[in-house]
Amino acid sequence: MIRSSAVNLAVGYVLFGIVALIAFAAPVWYAWQVTIEEGRTEILQEDAQRQAEVFRREGVAGLTHFISERVSLQIAGERVLLFTDPQGHVLAGNLSAWPRGIPDQSGTYTITVEMDGRPSRAVVVRAKLPGGYDLLVARDLARYAPVETRFWFGLGAGVAILSVMGTIGAVLIRRELLARIQGIRQTVSAIMQGELSHRLRTRSSGDELDTLSQTINRMLDQIEQLVHGIRNVSNSIAHDLRTPLAELRSRLEELLVTRPPPHEVYNEVEAAVADVDRVIGIFNALLRLAEIDTGMRRSGFVEVDVAEVAEEAVDFYVPAAELKGITLSFHGGGPLPIAGDPLLLAQAVGNLVDNALKYAPANGSVRVETRRHDDGTVELAVADNGPGIPAMDKPKAAQRFFRGDASRGTPGVGLGLSIVDAVARLHGGSLELDDNHPGLRARLLTRSGAPAAEAANALPIAG
Amino acid sequence: MKVLLVEDNERVTRFVTRGLREAGHTVDHAGNGRDGLFLAAGGPYDVIVMDRMLPGQIDGLSIIETLRKSGNRVPILILSALSDVNERIRGLHSGGDDYLTKPFSFGELLARLDALSRRSWSGGRETHLEVGDLRMDLLSRKVSRGSRAITLQPREFKLLEYLMRHADQVVTRTMLLENVWEFNFDPQTNVVDVHISKLRQKIEFELERPLLKTVRNAGYMLTADE
Repeated sequence: MIRSSAVNLAVGYVLFGIVALIAFAAPVWYAWQVTIEEGRTEILQEDAQRQAEVFRREGVAGLTHFISERVSLQIAGERVLLFTDPQGHVLAGNLSAWPRGIPDQSGTYTITVEMDGRPSRAVVVRAKLPGGYDLLVARDLARYAPVETRFWFGLGAGVAILSVMGTIGAVLIRRELLARIQGIRQTVSAIMQGELSHRLRTRSSGDELDTLSQTINRMLDQIEQLVHGIRNVSNSIAHDLRTPLAELRSRLEELLVTRPPPHEVYNEVEAAVADVDRVIGIFNALLRLAEIDTGMRRSGFVEVDVAEVAEEAVDFYVPAAELKGITLSFHGGGPLPIAGDPLLLAQAVGNLVDNALKYAPANGSVRVETRRHDDGTVELAVADNGPGIPAMDKPKAAQRFFRGDASRGTPGVGLGLSIVDAVARLHGGSLELDDNHPGLRARLLTRSGAPAAEAANALPIAG
Repeated sequence: MKVLLVEDNERVTRFVTRGLREAGHTVDHAGNGRDGLFLAAGGPYDVIVMDRMLPGQIDGLSIIETLRKSGNRVPILILSALSDVNERIRGLHSGGDDYLTKPFSFGELLARLDALSRRSWSGGRETHLEVGDLRMDLLSRKVSRGSRAITLQPREFKLLEYLMRHADQVVTRTMLLENVWEFNFDPQTNVVDVHISKLRQKIEFELERPLLKTVRNAGYMLTADE
């Protein structure tokens, strides 16, 4: 497949080169044949005319002398000259007799004449002079045959060189392509065997294959991340869903075995419903994550003011913060419209504030800030002065079901930051977790750009 | 109220039917799309609970579309296991009035049905709302209880307005989140409860009669009744 495509490519290029060469040579050939040849014939006719002039001015003796001189001096090397009297005797010239086949009147003819014992084609001008004298001026075409031969040889050599170079080129291209594609095939095979960490080799050349390799590598990064995520999720689901399910199961089984009085049964059933709600909560969060990750929500992007969303979230959480003695404040510098999903952005801010309130100490403070960077990135930062996230845990913090040591004993399913991260990615941005000295400074960056001019009509979501 | 339940799952049907009958409502049931469409078109019902996935040729959304095309304006609540926002939008676009995701609590369903069935007869352009001696002027945005003026933050005003518009009905936390804050997620901390208790402090002084009641396992109810 590769083999034939490289050869096809080379053959195609060679053929194209030959066609180009011929297309170049044909006009040259034509110009030579028509223009130069005609020009030469014209010179021949002028030459004949000049000699007729000599005859008129200086008579037979004058022309005889003129021609003899020219022949002896070989002024016009390729010239064939003949001057005869009315009886056909040669008066001057380099032909021994009048050649046959020339019509008996003035004009220009192409005939075959005997020259130095060999036949050769010649252009002949015959001029009948007054008093029955006859003049022949001709040019030996054979003199140009070598030039013509050289032209054709040159053309042939051009074609040959082109073919050889093309073939060498094909071999080189094939070898290069094959080697690189072979490399890609080996890497991909290894990946198919489950070695997800393998990557295609790239150079800094930036050619098409390199760009393709880089794109494939980015795709592999994403696939690896997803597969990794799925593995993690299955492990975490096994743990996080099993725990409440196990509690639920033992609760119900205990009821079956001990058969307590009705009022105790109701308490236990109520607790069981709470267990189920926890499981449902985890499922809802997972479904929401899956929904965001498909990117489907992007089609519903409308104009959203990030500052307003943040302020409303702060507004919503202030009473809860006050109850814990935490100062929750909003600091924004005016409207920050972007194209986005208002519901998801609200949830992302909500999750961040929720987290911050969970970890900020009593009498602590949580600051929510919004601003636009020079490059158009819109940042929403939520900073608390709680324990923060240890540096080693930061890369994992946004992973599904990750729960750091600091979160042990606090309620939550470990999906909050995952959702924030997914929302950020949906908006072309990212979630950055920085140190707030002390505490955590979570920054939600969005790069979904300015809202489109014709803001789509928001659809009613809530009933 | 008279409720039509179109639902094929027997357990859900039993759970909803029993709950609604205990709450004093009449329930008709259809187990597939054809019967559902037939009963709904025969009406009249105060509210219809429609499952999206139904056995047979006709699914929940096509029943709703058919009803709406024939000019039937009965309030419809869609029950669905599909929780995507896009699915929700599709459901509401087809003519549904509310959308509840399975699994759900009966309290949530009942509160939403209550709100839906009353929406059909209220909804005029009133200039003020009254619950007992609590009075809200929607034009001047002033709230008072008896002769006492109450100062509210804008969001508190919106919360109280929603509660007053749904006076004598149970309003769930989710309904408040969706309608007052327009949030579509479940905050992990019980922030709604904190807002309610703050509002309660403002509208119920020590000697005044309590108006805002907590309904166990369901939500809240604003009522002048004892």
